[in-house]
Amino acid sequence: MSDCEKTNYIGKSVQRVDVYEKATGKAKYFEDYQVQYRDLLHVKVLRSPHAHAKIVSIDASAAEALPGVATVVKGSDPDIAWADIPYASSYYGNPAKDEVIWAGQAVVAVAAESIEIAEQALELVKVVYEELPYVVDQREAFKADAVSVTSPELGIAAGYGGVQPEGPNVMGSYKLTHGDVEKAFAEADVIVEEEYQAGKKSTSQIECNGSIVEYHEGGGVTIITNGCGVHGVVKNHILTMYPQLSSNKVRVIQPVTGGSFGNRLFPLVEPLAVLMALRTKRTVSYVLTRKEMYTSSPSNWPVYTKLKLGAKKDGTIIAEKLELVEDAGAQIRGYFDGRLSSSGLMCVYNIPNVQCDSYAVRTNTMPCAPYRGLGCAESEWAMENLIDVLAEKLDMDPLEIRLKNILKKGETNPYGEKVTSIGLGRCLEAVADAINIDEPCQQDGGPWKYGKGIAAAGKQNTPLGRAEADCLVHSDGSIELLVSCDEQGMGVQTTLRQMAATEFQIDIEKVKVTRADTAITPYDNFGASSRTTYTTGNAVIIACQDAIDQLKEAAGRKVGLAKKQVTIKNGKAYFVGSNIESIDIADLYEPFSFFTQQTWGLLKGTPVRGRGVFCPAPAVEWFGPGHEDGRTPRMWNWYQYSAFGAEVAVNEETGQIKILKLMSTADTGNPINPKLVEGQIDGGVIMALGFSIMDHHMFQDGKMMNPNMSDYRLPTTLETPLQKNFMRAILPDPLPDGPFNAKGMAESIMIPVGPAIAAAIYQAIGVRPTEMPMTAERVLKLIKDKEASDAK
Amino acid sequence: MKFNAYYEPKTVEECVQILSEQGSDVKMLAGGTDLVIRLRSRALKPKTVVSLNAIPELSEVSLKEDGLYIGAMARLMDVSKSELLTGAWKIVKTGAGNVSSMQVRNIATLGGNSCNASPSADTVPGLVVSGAIANIVGKNGNRSVLLEEFFTGPGKTVLADDEMLVSFKIPKYADKTGAVYKKYSIRGDTDIAIIGVAGKVTLNAQDEVVDVKIALGGVAPTVIRVPKAEALLSGKKLTDQLIEEAAVIASESCTPITDARATKEYRKEMVKVWVRHVLKDAAQEAQKN
Repeated sequence: MSDCEKTNYIGKSVQRVDVYEKATGKAKYFEDYQVQYRDLLHVKVLRSPHAHAKIVSIDASAAEALPGVATVVKGSDPDIAWADIPYASSYYGNPAKDEVIWAGQAVVAVAAESIEIAEQALELVKVVYEELPYVVDQREAFKADAVSVTSPELGIAAGYGGVQPEGPNVMGSYKLTHGDVEKAFAEADVIVEEEYQAGKKSTSQIECNGSIVEYHEGGGVTIITNGCGVHGVVKNHILTMYPQLSSNKVRVIQPVTGGSFGNRLFPLVEPLAVLMALRTKRTVSYVLTRKEMYTSSPSNWPVYTKLKLGAKKDGTIIAEKLELVEDAGAQIRGYFDGRLSSSGLMCVYNIPNVQCDSYAVRTNTMPCAPYRGLGCAESEWAMENLIDVLAEKLDMDPLEIRLKNILKKGETNPYGEKVTSIGLGRCLEAVADAINIDEPCQQDGGPWKYGKGIAAAGKQNTPLGRAEADCLVHSDGSIELLVSCDEQGMGVQTTLRQMAATEFQIDIEKVKVTRADTAITPYDNFGASSRTTYTTGNAVIIACQDAIDQLKEAAGRKVGLAKKQVTIKNGKAYFVGSNIESIDIADLYEPFSFFTQQTWGLLKGTPVRGRGVFCPAPAVEWFGPGHEDGRTPRMWNWYQYSAFGAEVAVNEETGQIKILKLMSTADTGNPINPKLVEGQIDGGVIMALGFSIMDHHMFQDGKMMNPNMSDYRLPTTLETPLQKNFMRAILPDPLPDGPFNAKGMAESIMIPVGPAIAAAIYQAIGVRPTEMPMTAERVLKLIKDKEASDAK
Repeated sequence: MKFNAYYEPKTVEECVQILSEQGSDVKMLAGGTDLVIRLRSRALKPKTVVSLNAIPELSEVSLKEDGLYIGAMARLMDVSKSELLTGAWKIVKTGAGNVSSMQVRNIATLGGNSCNASPSADTVPGLVVSGAIANIVGKNGNRSVLLEEFFTGPGKTVLADDEMLVSFKIPKYADKTGAVYKKYSIRGDTDIAIIGVAGKVTLNAQDEVVDVKIALGGVAPTVIRVPKAEALLSGKKLTDQLIEEAAVIASESCTPITDARATKEYRKEMVKVWVRHVLKDAAQEAQKN
């Protein structure tokens, strides 16, 4: 093996850097830092029991008087940040003021010497509510005559930010016209149409959201948090919410964290804890309970989709018409307009005529945030199911119809974007092959019926934000990366290390990653949209190249050569055109002592610092002249793709579903670390199995019925197939602009799981679920309905 | 979690003395797998907690002339593995083994599962069809009640403030008796049951039913029997049609609620399905025992 091959770590399954500390319990999560603070205050929050109610009065005097209570925060307090909207702050972690708009909204917050005292204090608070009509069903909320999620007389209406409301709760809309849809439907040989619904779900990461805010004399704060985006989300929010804090007075540190999946992209706990720290001049710890994780931290946005497809006899899909509504929950501000979920219906198939009318609506439920897949698992649920219906009508097999219609590299999607990387065809073929889709399941005559199904998926990547990286070359020749990307479990520290070691052609043991401390590590937005490998990875490569360039300059100067005559590898500078063959990097740094003068150049103890900044190319304006049809040559960044195949058993007596065999394939671009990618696939598949067949928010009287882990049913090992039947494959199409041609991959794998299971259920028992999750009850109802209609 | 006083008596007598002194604002701590969760969530705020964990005699399991005695503090894991539970008594093992996860079963107790009085307790339907008797000790002496009469509502039992459950007596069963418990839940045993069905069938030499008991969990305020279905089956040979009729009666005679685990309609439908399976399996078992 040549030196170069030895130090090429791309595509190698290098062990995770954090594996020992996590497995042995030594990893320090934010709560582990509580013991450092002897003056720690604990926060507990009283929350609304009603989906919608006027707050008539709040009497917190007894709580304030309770010994051990340091401060009590109410919505009417003058120092509440972002209290610009009359009835409740638009920052939905703050206590409400004039009305509550979902069950679980904060009403009064207490910081006290202990959790016990804080809880006791909350029990002393007297709140008088006047219940108001509410709406939790998004289809109801969308109607023009719907109950208003907020009270209109309080001055906030739908359509925040200049959007023209189309109903009392409609937040915004995104519409696209591509080709002539009505004409295409007239020319279609087969037309299929159906309504689909995907439910409300919580990411349910193991570690509950929380942070510790340390107060510094002089008015600064250090925030130790598991929130995402130390710079781009947490610090930016705190700076805009608290103008008295200047940039140098806020430090945000993210230690080891236990998952996010998008849930922590909204800084829910930090602002309230900062407010309390500023008031009390003490250290404040605010940790959500598991119940609060469900009722008071963001869920996904459920999606309703009415989809219509038209195809020619040969299976070519020529027309797509969709009406889609995202349910953003009780969200006042927000960027929701249907665009995020509808993107899933634009990126997989090459359909020449598309009419998209998408919206976002408010409901009196927990406000939403991104959930792994950004609403595409919810919308493509409709597309993949309806494609299956179409295939049956056309008498085509589900693989053939998909292969015929998927976008090919270089083609243009309905937005008008040219597709630069798509490996979906191979993904589809591989899943069909793995589950032998052509071979019907053997039935055994018992209550369990067997079937198979496949589905495809695509997911856009955000063009937003930027990532910076510093690459330090220490005077011992070792490398240190300073980055602020989130590590939410995906293993990015390891992949960034692989990239740097490959750039420097150095042993990976000599590369270390220091991460997520705004006082030390440079800007990054957030770990979301599967962007970290791409965006932060590109920044790291640029930083490494900058550092290498500086080393070449310094090494060349040392022996009297130009930097083009220097190569950096194996911890050495190699020269051409000199009698000196090489110098160790470490020897480029001059030793110096207290008495040394003229200390220019590289010195021991002071690293070379390479800088890297990477921003994805900007999207072309989504609105405005030239884009009245909603189309643009650059809407998003790149796309990740996936396919899924499943063999399932359906119990005709109970409606239960068992997944017997599954295969997930992912087009990840060139994978940096295949083992980590496989881990993401497996984790994503299990998470998606959960929201496909079990886990969702259930409501009774406007309240979530199941805000705990025994009633919010996440899948366990019992719900996953045996290891030998749990298959995955990475089938990359390299991304030209990705770091080492990689792209992100954590989300597309979520999307095809539900529809593939639905197709398998149809094959097994002849019913087509349209609502996700496909709970046993819902499936049994479909079976009973079918029995009743067959009997007629 | 906060309470004023915590006691750890060493004997039943001492325990009863403490209970009688402390009055009504007391909770007894057995395995704690339900109690501690409720204390921590402040759903329960008792003044006093009395642990039963230091009274060794409460954990005893012994076979006596008139039946099997299982101490109230017998851990579910031990019950689920007990070699004394043979034949038709195996239903008690099954129920204990169906409760939650191994970690919970290691600490939760048979008595706790009854005294918690959850309508969906997995051990109760099997004990009820087995004719289990609850042995109670109080300030004013001992008494025994049939377990199916022990429950008065969700979370409520016949125990007075100064009384405690000390053991269960499970009477001997007749020849050709089969007893089966089936728990129906979405995620296997780690889930709380949507419904639980226990059935006990005793056949005579002609394979006619001489005794049958059906108990349903999770479909009423307490575990219930289904006398109408039992009457239908008594004295007859079990045919598929008869079993189906009994299942329909069972389904119609229960009064479930809708909660986070299932709707009432689904529960009724599941009673029909699982009563059918239980009766068929119990009849098969009866041939073996």
